[in-house]
Amino acid sequence: MKTLYTPIEAVLEDVIVETPTIKTFVLRPKEKFSFTTGQFIELTMPEIGEAPFTPSSDPNLKETIDVTIMNAGKMTSLLHQASKKISLGIRGPYGKGYPLEKFTGKDILIVGGGVGLAPLRSLLLSLFAQMHKYNRVVLRYGARSPDDIIYKQLLPKWKNVKGLDMMITVDKGNPAWAGHVGLVTTILNDLPLDMQKAVVIVCGPPIMMKFATLKLLEIGFKPEDIYLSMEKNMSCGLGKCGHCRIGPYYICKDGPVFTYEQLKDLHDIWD
Amino acid sequence: MQEKYLTDQTALLDFLKILSQEFRLFTPKIKESVPNKEDDYIYYQGVDPAGFRFNPYRVIDPVKTFFTPAVEKAAAYFNVQDSPGVPVKVALFGVKSCDLHALIFQDYVFLEGLAEDALYRQRRENTLIVSSDCADFKEVCFCLAMGVKPYPEKGFDLNLSVLNDGYIVSIGSSKGEEIINKHRHLFVSAKDSQLDGLRQKRENLCSRLNERLRSLNIPAYDSLQRLMHQGHDAETWKNFMRTCVECGGCNFICSTCHCFLLADRKDPSGELNKEKSWDACQYAAFSRVAGGANPLKTRAQRLRNRFLKKFDFFVTHMKMPACCGCGRCIEVCPGKIDIREVLKDLAL
Repeated sequence: MKTLYTPIEAVLEDVIVETPTIKTFVLRPKEKFSFTTGQFIELTMPEIGEAPFTPSSDPNLKETIDVTIMNAGKMTSLLHQASKKISLGIRGPYGKGYPLEKFTGKDILIVGGGVGLAPLRSLLLSLFAQMHKYNRVVLRYGARSPDDIIYKQLLPKWKNVKGLDMMITVDKGNPAWAGHVGLVTTILNDLPLDMQKAVVIVCGPPIMMKFATLKLLEIGFKPEDIYLSMEKNMSCGLGKCGHCRIGPYYICKDGPVFTYEQLKDLHDIWD
Repeated sequence: MQEKYLTDQTALLDFLKILSQEFRLFTPKIKESVPNKEDDYIYYQGVDPAGFRFNPYRVIDPVKTFFTPAVEKAAAYFNVQDSPGVPVKVALFGVKSCDLHALIFQDYVFLEGLAEDALYRQRRENTLIVSSDCADFKEVCFCLAMGVKPYPEKGFDLNLSVLNDGYIVSIGSSKGEEIINKHRHLFVSAKDSQLDGLRQKRENLCSRLNERLRSLNIPAYDSLQRLMHQGHDAETWKNFMRTCVECGGCNFICSTCHCFLLADRKDPSGELNKEKSWDACQYAAFSRVAGGANPLKTRAQRLRNRFLKKFDFFVTHMKMPACCGCGRCIEVCPGKIDIREVLKDLAL
């Protein structure tokens, strides 16, 4: 019997090494599976466990789904050792993604930190598919070091995307690094944005999200124009298992994308 | 709906016998009598050989165990084509008002929202709930303080209230009505004088319980959400958690607690599946994520989380606190953490 929690079989078609601790897993679901950018899936490693991830691929690609995953815990470390062609399980998609319809005609700032660029890649690819709808897209990405930058093959190509203004920073450089050095908040000054019609989307580790949000408020973004990708240990994905509650919300069903306006009066949102 | 009357114990036993042909019966039974201690009751499969008697107050286990078991197979992997099997029909005798109230929350979680849990739905539909009035209360009972009466008003299929030698039967659903119509010969119509007698009995119990609760001074249930907001940073959480041993008992025994975890398992036959088991927000790992971050690091944060869920989250969504006053969490706690005392402390 198919239940709410029955996963669809998905073959691990390819594994791309992004950094020493981050890999992109290319999955080919055996049944029809689609998502909108910003929604998440539950990824099962047979016998091992299940965890929530937001796909990093273009939702318009219907055959495969990319998930970029950091080796951070028990399941992800085993996944990092997995070989191609094994069967994984996916279920979902869950939650509310990025409200693209609200971004029409806007100046869109995207702020990413570390592996937080993964869901944003999916967002950017969705935006690129219809750039004429948006006034301007500005990407500001921060990684710990040049080695920790993900999508190293892809990012140089984005330099040629018309309408995209991109800047990357690292917390700590190395002799080969000619770019900016400093936290991502240090490249949020003098942005080429019309603040009257700008929205911003932030995704990264909680500490980065916190300070980026404070900085964004300082430079004039309104709380309702700041979109945050929140994460907790979502298990069921349907607002039933109780794990990802934050105030009156469940991140899995009311998010994972929230405006800061929705969250600003709640306690402990960055924990 | 006109109330019916089962004239005596023989009529009730006949009713049980008839139901047992169609349903798997669970009826109340004293767990074990300990001198000088109030009796505890359990749901017993069948009818107590020592004779059927309604429990004067709720049994040990919350009724949720019949609908969302502690551990169950929640899904098989990938595209399994097995049939769901023939569901077992269950008749539960002796469910109390507190547990019926708590089921409102379980139903909200598992039947409403984004999707319905089909297994839960199947069990709910295949269970006949025959509730009964409380005749007494336990030391830990405080239903009236949560706005819950010690006698069922809704949420049952049939409710049996002990009166004189027999039982007044109230019908609460079409399922219940059908059963009564099918076995009409067992029942007579309840007389107005009997219904007056029932009202009197209920009023007496309420005034006895109210008197007891007055001495406990529990904050009003409609003030609890405000208390949660005001008391977010109160010392209460730290002070009361000192004796918490993180056993999770308060969560598991709670009638309204519903949290669960999905785990991946291989069963003895080699089949891979997802197992759903109760989880407890009092466990240190409840909200821990890969990499080690944990929004509920301390026991004080976790105690607060349990209260926020019941008295803030559910009040926002359902306009009532998710506590039915059954007092099970008080009885179960090895650290003697008393939900009533925590609420009182927050109100100080």
